[in-house]
Amino acid sequence: MADYEKSDNKFISFSSNNLTSYKSEHEPRVYEEGYMNLYKFIDSSLDAYKYELYTLNYPVFVHMYLELVYNNHEDAAKKFMEKFGPHQEDFYQEDIKKLAIITKPSQMKESEIIDNFNNGQSRFTIRLSKDTFYYLKRYLQDSSKSTSIIQNVIQEHLSLDFYEGLTRNKQQVEASLGGMMGEAPRDANKVKVYVGLLKEPDINLSILDDDGDDAAVDPSGEGGEKPKKKKSKRDTLLSKRARNDPNAPPITRIPLPELRDAEKMDKIHRMREASKRLKLSSETLPSICFYTLLNANVNNNIAVLCIEISEDSALLSAGLSDSTIKVWSLTPNKLKTMKSAQELELIDREADDVLVRMMNEKSATDLKVLHGHSGPVYSLSFSPDRNLLLSCSEDSTIRLWSLQTWTNICCYKGHCFPVWDVVFSPHGYYFATCGHDRTARLWATDSHQPLRFFVGHFSDVDCIQFHPNSNYVASGSTDRTIRVWDVLTGQCVRYFTGHKAKIYTLLFTTCGRYLISAGEDKKILVWDLSHGYLIACLSGHTETIYTLAISRDGVMLASGGADDCIMLWDLAKLLDEADSEDMNMSQTPTVRTNTDKILLKTFKTKATNVISIHFTRRNLALAAGVLH
Amino acid sequence: MSSSSGFLSALDSMKIMAESIGISNLSDDASRVLAEEVTFRLKLILQEANKFRGHSKRKKLIGCDIDNALKIKNIEPLYGFTSNDHIPFRFASGGGRELFFIDDKEVDLGEVISSTILPKLPQDLALKAHWLSIEGIQPAIPENPPPVSKDIQRQESIDPASALKQNPEELRTGHIELEKRKKHVEMVRVKQYATHELSVEQQLYYKEITEACVGSDEGRRSEALQSLTYDSGLHQMLPRLCTFILEGVKVNVVQNNLALLIYLMRMVKALLDNQTLYLEKYLHELIPTVITCIVSKQLCLRPDLDNHWALRDFASRLLAQICKNFNTSTNNIQTRITRLLSRALDNDKLPLSSQYGALSGLCELGPEVQRAFILKRLKAIGERIRVIMEGGGSSVEKSAAEHIKNLILRVLPATIKASRPPPDVLEDYRSEFGFLGSYLHTAVVRSRTAANPVTPQTTNQNLGTSHATFISQTTHTAGPRATINLSSQVSKSIQLPRTGYKVVRLVQPNQSAPSTVLRTPSNEIRYLQ
Repeated sequence: MADYEKSDNKFISFSSNNLTSYKSEHEPRVYEEGYMNLYKFIDSSLDAYKYELYTLNYPVFVHMYLELVYNNHEDAAKKFMEKFGPHQEDFYQEDIKKLAIITKPSQMKESEIIDNFNNGQSRFTIRLSKDTFYYLKRYLQDSSKSTSIIQNVIQEHLSLDFYEGLTRNKQQVEASLGGMMGEAPRDANKVKVYVGLLKEPDINLSILDDDGDDAAVDPSGEGGEKPKKKKSKRDTLLSKRARNDPNAPPITRIPLPELRDAEKMDKIHRMREASKRLKLSSETLPSICFYTLLNANVNNNIAVLCIEISEDSALLSAGLSDSTIKVWSLTPNKLKTMKSAQELELIDREADDVLVRMMNEKSATDLKVLHGHSGPVYSLSFSPDRNLLLSCSEDSTIRLWSLQTWTNICCYKGHCFPVWDVVFSPHGYYFATCGHDRTARLWATDSHQPLRFFVGHFSDVDCIQFHPNSNYVASGSTDRTIRVWDVLTGQCVRYFTGHKAKIYTLLFTTCGRYLISAGEDKKILVWDLSHGYLIACLSGHTETIYTLAISRDGVMLASGGADDCIMLWDLAKLLDEADSEDMNMSQTPTVRTNTDKILLKTFKTKATNVISIHFTRRNLALAAGVLH
Repeated sequence: MSSSSGFLSALDSMKIMAESIGISNLSDDASRVLAEEVTFRLKLILQEANKFRGHSKRKKLIGCDIDNALKIKNIEPLYGFTSNDHIPFRFASGGGRELFFIDDKEVDLGEVISSTILPKLPQDLALKAHWLSIEGIQPAIPENPPPVSKDIQRQESIDPASALKQNPEELRTGHIELEKRKKHVEMVRVKQYATHELSVEQQLYYKEITEACVGSDEGRRSEALQSLTYDSGLHQMLPRLCTFILEGVKVNVVQNNLALLIYLMRMVKALLDNQTLYLEKYLHELIPTVITCIVSKQLCLRPDLDNHWALRDFASRLLAQICKNFNTSTNNIQTRITRLLSRALDNDKLPLSSQYGALSGLCELGPEVQRAFILKRLKAIGERIRVIMEGGGSSVEKSAAEHIKNLILRVLPATIKASRPPPDVLEDYRSEFGFLGSYLHTAVVRSRTAANPVTPQTTNQNLGTSHATFISQTTHTAGPRATINLSSQVSKSIQLPRTGYKVVRLVQPNQSAPSTVLRTPSNEIRYLQ
């Protein structure tokens, strides 16, 4: 197979690509004729090849148009655009609109999209089976004048990625279309990804030691329970967790912070909560508590742009268009500020209630406002230990806030344009951001410079998410693709095409093996990370999807967006089906699109969009949105 | 070409903009090149602005998005366009030029600072929680959408069997039974009944609500009425509630129990105000009850003392509300009601209290109805009142006559004023309206003198054409520094005239520091407006 690749490499060889490659001596009318011929050829070819060949239409169209523009055939270019533009796929229309603006060679340098079509590193990628490829080659070598121009475009500007095996059918081809720069080349998704979860740190001993303290700290009154029984229960829980996952990365692959005592206590508490949580299934749906933000739409001067609920469901924060951040307490516990340094010195450090004494009782309120940004706040993220909050803004900075003193403790500057999304690593310490400058970046809270740059997207990076094992970061972009980056090497290890519009939200399943994404194309796509395939496409929403959430036991998926409803999906069923299917590496699996059996229920709100969904530790769903 | 018209107007705009910064005689070619370039840039900026729209989770593109897009293109944003309202561009033409501009009132800063009446504070952000679902079932509370939408309620009222179709299980068993029967007795068609059962909770709710509505505890009553007005899951209980009101009115009219009649009318009001109910099905029960409360001969035990007039007025308003909400060309509710009431007015034997009710019902239906049905009857009504007031009548009749007179004088002068041209001659009034003529005359004359219409005169054209010159003049007076600032800004960004205009206005009272004024944050400018 290697030989085969080599022999044909001439055909898809790279040339140093810049605008001059558009120089051409052809008459403008040849383009129209050539494109028409290609169109006819594809249309009349066998059904087996037809659908793969259809993917050629758009890139050839674009490059022919740009060639016309570059060679100053303004009128011919406009005519070409008018004639063939509307025939392209719907999801390309937005890009076509952008292209149609450009009618002069001088304008070509200014446009983001042309920049992508032209730069040396990236070419529009088209995947063809070997058979289809030879079929196309025969057509192109059939030397008449009008094919030579097509041949030229394909050689100069496109990258054909051919694979062994059966030609894909219509559905398979369509499922992976949509990327701004075509499909993912085959070897982009070859690298092994450690999808497993990290081994839980051993806190077994400390549990036994802390048992007495534990009961004292927790006021929820479980004194009646027999300690022995409790212990055994927890032991089973822990032993289940402690099993080694064969797909997990080595625990030292990424240096992670040591667990502090408070965090260990929190983990124990979390496990205890987990034992009490509601087991969800298609019969037992969760209760949903909806938090509506009032007076926060366009007609008021402040608009809420993002909402985030902390892991322990105690805090709700909202980022506003007036550059402030508001944090509400969702529990009866009020939000208190830590005392000043002088006052703190006076406190007896050995006292049992030292944590309570540190707080200033007078400052207790239900709502705290954080001022600091100088532009709309687009995203927020709580640290896992609930002491810190990250925010990112239009002012291109990321700010770290202390939720003890309620002040800004650090401002990270590095992005040069608005930052769209920020997310804390599930293990704390690290965080990732992405923005308009087409990069995603990895940071550590104690460093003012980014640790990694993840570069490769062709347009704005709109959303970002950490893998539960903190070793990978996934990012979704306006170029309609998703990339998964290795935190250790900074390499792109997965490249998913298939979304037909901008991606707004990403989510890893609790098991770490699947990635779920959704956005402006109103569809939820489920990807298998370990093999790099799309496995399901769930449609049901009628407007942009803003948020996704998975129940704590990983059974249920909730989605919400601009169509004012929350949909519950039977994720367990979907993944079971996918698991049971024999995964053949050379074969593209079929994409499940049958939504009826997976969609459990839709809950409509009255007039509130859904910006955020969160499952509490006991599987109660919390959702939040803005009344419009 | 489709874009040619936009392109041409852009040419003119280019020239006007050039003039506004002091370049006259811009050649056609130059403005064409500029217009093309500007169009290209504008489209690029709009593309970027669309990204900000998306991340603001909005469907509508607004001014701030453009500002932010300009910012990332390294262009100074256009301050002052962040208004959330529709920006009212106005159009003016004159001297062969066409111009779009914004009508901008001059604000005297001194006045704003010293003024005690400040604009109302905007409402603050608030967080409110409710249950969207409890164990998979959506509770029917006002915060949630109604469980059965009005459309479905209508569907059910038109075709009661449609409710059955939603439950295919039942339908199937029904069919099986049908088939079984067919075997035994041929040619029998069994029509299915749409069952209508209330759950235990609903029965409890019905009991609570009806008791509270007619009980003696005013606090509970207002809570119950609140629930009837805003709760969304009431449609199943609606037939019961309507029957309750119907029967209640029947009994209490006979017993002259004014208080209960008022409570029942308040229930009707609550149901009418509930946005989630499809009431059309029950109008045949509601309208008679309401009309009873308007025109009944006696509504209380002591007609001389009790204020049954208030009930009649209240019920009349309800009737008007029903007519407004439910009148269609097929049911003709309003026509039928006006016919009924006006016929009652023609009856000489009608007790005065009923006459008052019929009059008040017609009055509430608006000036059209008043003109067509009341004005021509005023003479007869006035005569009857006069007889009672001057001649003998019981005290009850006298107070009724007084109320009728007051009602007429309260409502009708406005209608008469609108329908009659100004010269108000007392004799005409007397001959047309009889006894009431003189009273109506004084009332009409008084209202005519009280209102002196002031309609603000706007002069579009003057504002528009003087606009450009105004800028050039004042920039000179503001000193060289301001001029530099202004023109550099203009050349840097594509500006519509308004910004320059705005800045100049602000510079005037504060000539010493123009550069700082230029940087006034946009929201302050908005506040001053």
